[in-house]
Amino acid sequence: MNRIECHPEIFPLRADEPGYAKLWDRETQAASRYGTPIDLTPEAGDSLGASLRINGNPEVGANPHRYKQHGFYFNADNCIGCHACEAACSEKNDNPAHIAFRSVGYVEGGTYPDYQRINISMACNHCEDPVCLKGCPTRAYTKYAEYGAVLQDPDICFGCGYCTWVCPYNAPQLDPVKGQVTKCNLCVDRLEAGLKPACVSACLGNALDFGVIENIPENRIEAKTEIPGFPDPSISRPNIRFQQRRSTHREMTRPDGLPVKYHRDDASGSFRPEVDAAKGGSERRSNWKKLLGSHERAHVMFTLATQTVLGTFLLALVGSLAGGALAPLAAAPVELPLLGAAMALLVFGLFKLNMHLGKPHRFYRGFNNLRWSPVSREIAGVAGFSGLLFGYGALSPFAHPLLVGVQQLLGIGAASSGLAGLYFMYRIYRIPARPFWNHWQTAAAFGGNALSLGALLAGLVALPILAAAGVPAGRLGAALATAVVLGQGLEIVGHCAHARAMTAGEGSVSWFLQTTRHYWPWVIRNGLLGVNLILGLGLLAATSAGLDGWVLTSGWLLLGLGVIAAAVIGRSLFFVVVIPTTMPGAFFWKNQDFVEHARQTGLADLEQVGVVREHHGEFKWDELIAALRAVKAPDLRAHFREILVWKPLPGRGRNPESR
Amino acid sequence: MLFGSHQRTPIRSADKEVASWTYTTCGYCSTGCAIEVGKNAQGQVVASRGVGGADVNRGKLCLKGMFEHELFEAPGRGSEPLLRRHRGEAFAPVTWDAALDHMAAEIRRIQGQYGRDAFAVVSTGQILTEEFYTLGKLTRGLIGTNNYDGNTTLCMASAVSGYKRSFGADGPPGCYEDFEHTHCLIAWGSNLPEQHPIIYWRLKEALEKRKFPLIVVDPRVTMFAQFADLHLPIRPGTDVVLQNALMHVILAEGLEDAAYIAANTTGIEALRAEVANWDPTTAAAVCGIDEDRIRTVARLYAKAPAAMHIWTMGINQSTHGSDGVVGMNNLALLTGNVGKPGGTALSITGQCNAMGTREWSSCSGLPGYRALENPEHRAEVGQFWNVDPEFFPKRRGLFQTDIFPAIETGQIKGLWLVATNPITSMPNTARIRKSLEQLEFLVVQDAYADMESNQYAHLYLPAAVWAEKEGTFTNTERRVNLVRQVTRPRAACKADLDIFNELAKRFDPEGRVRFPERPAEVFEEMKQLARGRPCDLSGMDHELIERQRGIQWPFTREQRARGEIPPAGGVRLYTAPRSFHHPEGRARLIPLPFVDNNEQPDAQYPFWLNSGRLVEHFHTRTRTGKVGNNNKYSPIPFVEINPDAAAELGIRHQEYVRCVSRRGDAVAMAMLTQRVPRDMVFIPFHFFDCVNRLTLGLLDPHSRQPAFKQAAVRLERVADQRAAARLCIEARQY
Repeated sequence: MNRIECHPEIFPLRADEPGYAKLWDRETQAASRYGTPIDLTPEAGDSLGASLRINGNPEVGANPHRYKQHGFYFNADNCIGCHACEAACSEKNDNPAHIAFRSVGYVEGGTYPDYQRINISMACNHCEDPVCLKGCPTRAYTKYAEYGAVLQDPDICFGCGYCTWVCPYNAPQLDPVKGQVTKCNLCVDRLEAGLKPACVSACLGNALDFGVIENIPENRIEAKTEIPGFPDPSISRPNIRFQQRRSTHREMTRPDGLPVKYHRDDASGSFRPEVDAAKGGSERRSNWKKLLGSHERAHVMFTLATQTVLGTFLLALVGSLAGGALAPLAAAPVELPLLGAAMALLVFGLFKLNMHLGKPHRFYRGFNNLRWSPVSREIAGVAGFSGLLFGYGALSPFAHPLLVGVQQLLGIGAASSGLAGLYFMYRIYRIPARPFWNHWQTAAAFGGNALSLGALLAGLVALPILAAAGVPAGRLGAALATAVVLGQGLEIVGHCAHARAMTAGEGSVSWFLQTTRHYWPWVIRNGLLGVNLILGLGLLAATSAGLDGWVLTSGWLLLGLGVIAAAVIGRSLFFVVVIPTTMPGAFFWKNQDFVEHARQTGLADLEQVGVVREHHGEFKWDELIAALRAVKAPDLRAHFREILVWKPLPGRGRNPESR
Repeated sequence: MLFGSHQRTPIRSADKEVASWTYTTCGYCSTGCAIEVGKNAQGQVVASRGVGGADVNRGKLCLKGMFEHELFEAPGRGSEPLLRRHRGEAFAPVTWDAALDHMAAEIRRIQGQYGRDAFAVVSTGQILTEEFYTLGKLTRGLIGTNNYDGNTTLCMASAVSGYKRSFGADGPPGCYEDFEHTHCLIAWGSNLPEQHPIIYWRLKEALEKRKFPLIVVDPRVTMFAQFADLHLPIRPGTDVVLQNALMHVILAEGLEDAAYIAANTTGIEALRAEVANWDPTTAAAVCGIDEDRIRTVARLYAKAPAAMHIWTMGINQSTHGSDGVVGMNNLALLTGNVGKPGGTALSITGQCNAMGTREWSSCSGLPGYRALENPEHRAEVGQFWNVDPEFFPKRRGLFQTDIFPAIETGQIKGLWLVATNPITSMPNTARIRKSLEQLEFLVVQDAYADMESNQYAHLYLPAAVWAEKEGTFTNTERRVNLVRQVTRPRAACKADLDIFNELAKRFDPEGRVRFPERPAEVFEEMKQLARGRPCDLSGMDHELIERQRGIQWPFTREQRARGEIPPAGGVRLYTAPRSFHHPEGRARLIPLPFVDNNEQPDAQYPFWLNSGRLVEHFHTRTRTGKVGNNNKYSPIPFVEINPDAAAELGIRHQEYVRCVSRRGDAVAMAMLTQRVPRDMVFIPFHFFDCVNRLTLGLLDPHSRQPAFKQAAVRLERVADQRAAARLCIEARQY
């Protein structure tokens, strides 16, 4: 087979460079099986023929297929699981033990001695539809016309980790120590020199290969898009092809801790994930510590806090604009303390979210990808809501009609922005790679919580104040109880539909975890939702009947506790039991259960175990100030234009939606 | 840049800025891969890569080799000699002179008080051939103890013994190039992809060019077994029965190469009589491989134009290890598959320089495959070294596995360990621990001060590691390859050669025996002793070896003088008729009666215990346990258990489980997998205070190699998982 020979200085070729390390493509196809052109020259724009300036090197690679989509080729029949690909990658990229751009996991099936293990070596698939690029709020990702490489720039990243949620292949690596994501760079330096990536050149099983996508290497005959354990390729149209000719067992299990196994669907021939109840047992347990102490609790607090504040504000705004039962919320003596409490809670939520970032001082980059990212849009919505809410609050002491008018305009703006923020907060979780979230129940829970928690905050602030002032608040109480009931009801409806939907795939496995390892919290959450509904209806009836006094007060307090507990438990379950459609791990490596074990037992403190503890990002004022000082007005203008004007930028490679 | 890139920013890629590459040879396993180690402009060692033009590995490396450059500054390296009077004391640093004076004085005291053989030396397969040769000269020629052996007794002794019995001398007769020519390959107890991934790759390359049948004999379904055309999941310890049955079919069906047998062997009649007892039906009941499959394999093997065996510890580490090797040799001789391309019996060796110690260390005799039992050899070497031949013992002393029992019973009072870690590597840890505790004087010479056996030492000598030194290794295919010095020894560490030379001065102050200082000079001395020996390397020198990326022996002075250029590979032994080392040049066919003396699973201990290696670790993890990008794939020990057996015992995946044998117990994490049968568990051998607390280690009668892979255990569920985790982790200092 022809070898591509080119010798630029970007990656020095050795005199005795073995032939297997060299790229081999001659003919290439016109389009991928998904109909996308393989030739990316038209996407290169002004950058055609320009240097990639790898580490500042001005050379241009002489690879004749420089502007063609490349991809990995994996022969699953041949992989021996020797980790040479992973080691070569980490050696080249100088990665510490806890970071791996490429990992080998496996699935196994059958009964001794008719036993089969299929190893799967996986890195970034440089997808046709890079969900990471679209998800990243900071625009740290670029899909290059050169080789079709999806590259990520850690200097831009602020360490939110959203790309690690949306990627089905576990390709982006969030480093808790450095607080940033890094990933496979396709060894573009080697490609420029006509060499295959380091992992491919190191393969000892002749399993891994590389070339222009859809090209099948010598001695191979298949180019499948799926093997057992590999996620549904329709999510991102990954640039990887497989050979896997040996018959597999009907059922393949994973060696890691996740209770997922893969069952063959005879009709399609592909494997579908399902629950492996044998793993870890199905006893009913609580695991409160894991549930409430997870690293995702920042998200629990942020989402609940913003939803509460939005709900409270919407109720107050309706009171302000429409009057009626909710009118006392928008008038003295309630309005100021209520807005104050709401703003304090919002600040708390935003603080928790921001400090959850790997690099919290880069918070301002969150808007960069309004073009694609629901995260950017959520951040914009919530930021707009916060700003306008503060304006609204600031104007509330003034009674001048003009100022009242302005305040109401600000209020309408805040509400719109807040609702948009809430919508995109929901869109954030509609991730195909996370089936447990990818359901309208998420919207029902977010909206329901906004209603019930919002009404609760309003009630807890307004009702005592009004009682102390001797103002009757029966109608307000009834309205708020109605909102709580509606919110809890909406959530219940969502959960019922969710339960019915989570019957297949990783969603069913999340459901299994929820109803076994966190059974009691789940039961308590469900019970509380029901109790809260009844209690809310009771309060509604009691208030309508004119009841007052300690019974009503206790009822509100009980309802408050119940709603908060249900919300916290529910939201924690939401984050803790979610299972990505990601690749199978191995027994120790890439096994989340072992990672947790290592952290609990102290094994993680031995550096060579390859597990690090969770870190909290440090807010580096000096970096922020330096960045602010360095910025120039034209740059800033260009940048805002880039954010706001939605068109592909010249020379930045292919715009994923331009097809 | 405030808001991230809005223009084409340069792409960043890790650049180690390697300024120079140094040629060397990998110091892990016996494959013998050529490595280049990269240093940056500041002289820091930063990278490793395979040498593209080296025939062995052709640019490839396994994950251990790829991170070998991290060894030099790994945690736990020794930095200065340490001394203490007894184990209760803390070590105190001493100078090299004080350390070696003390060591010499203690050796003299013990030898004076208890006899010359009361001080034992146990070395390794890890140091350089020049160092082995020098240690042999020191031990045999000056110290004069006959209790001198290497840890190769734990890995290759059975292969050595089997080769000697069949062919009259040690030395694997084949080479990697045989994969390109063979028409049938039987792998006995070898998990090649995991233990020797580069050799596996060479095999895979050959298979992709030309498919031939691959037969794997292994009780565990390894990746290799999975890839085999025929996997024979044999009952542990019964390989000889299978071999006898294969020979039975070959002879019964007249598939043997009668002309080759007549011309090149002796003993066919006795062999025929023995294998007559092992018809496939009888054998199947013992070895667990059905009779049809036995016949299929026998016919496939015998009818192949060229057929080969490879094997590793599945054969060697058993009570019939030497017999198992002889069995393969018998099969090869019966079918004329010795010394021809693709026809061989190739032992896949363990350590980087197991071959070097076999050839040159004088452990089992005298250098250059000479025997103590041979008066001419004693005279020849005595004269060459300027040592009275009468000073040499008349027969070899104790093997490593007999040295420890001799310490236990008090015959041996002092021990010198060179680059070996018996507390982790020897079977029956409790017994080794007790032995080490009884020593009056233990010297540990190792690159790592935190190596577990050092807990029992009185004197610790910090050795240089791998490419901090210079010299040669011999690999599995008899290829002598060069380790160039990449960097100077760390801190006050000394090359093993320098330590031996310094100690020699204490025993020979007047310099009666010559101890050259430079490795290349030692090599020149070895060449003189190599002349006419099977392992003749007299045509080589360090420069030529580097230029050729290693040279297979034999390569003689005569060949060099004729202007021959050593071939890149493909050198075989016994290619000429009747060129074996037994009388008349004939190989011996040796009958192998089967005696099953293994501990068998029973009601109390219902599981076979099997042990073996993982690709990410080497031996007792003193090196790989400190390299994160190796160690992370198995940072703690695990035990493979069949899920059906585990379900019965209530043991779950990823729980700690207690394994108990008649020797002791071990805690490991349960890995439920159908890779092992219902009545077997597998535990990797790399971990301190783990599998060898359980092993029995019955010894092979010929090779004295322990049977690590045949013992009986039971499993117990552990209620207190937290306590079990603590026990497991406390044993993991690295």
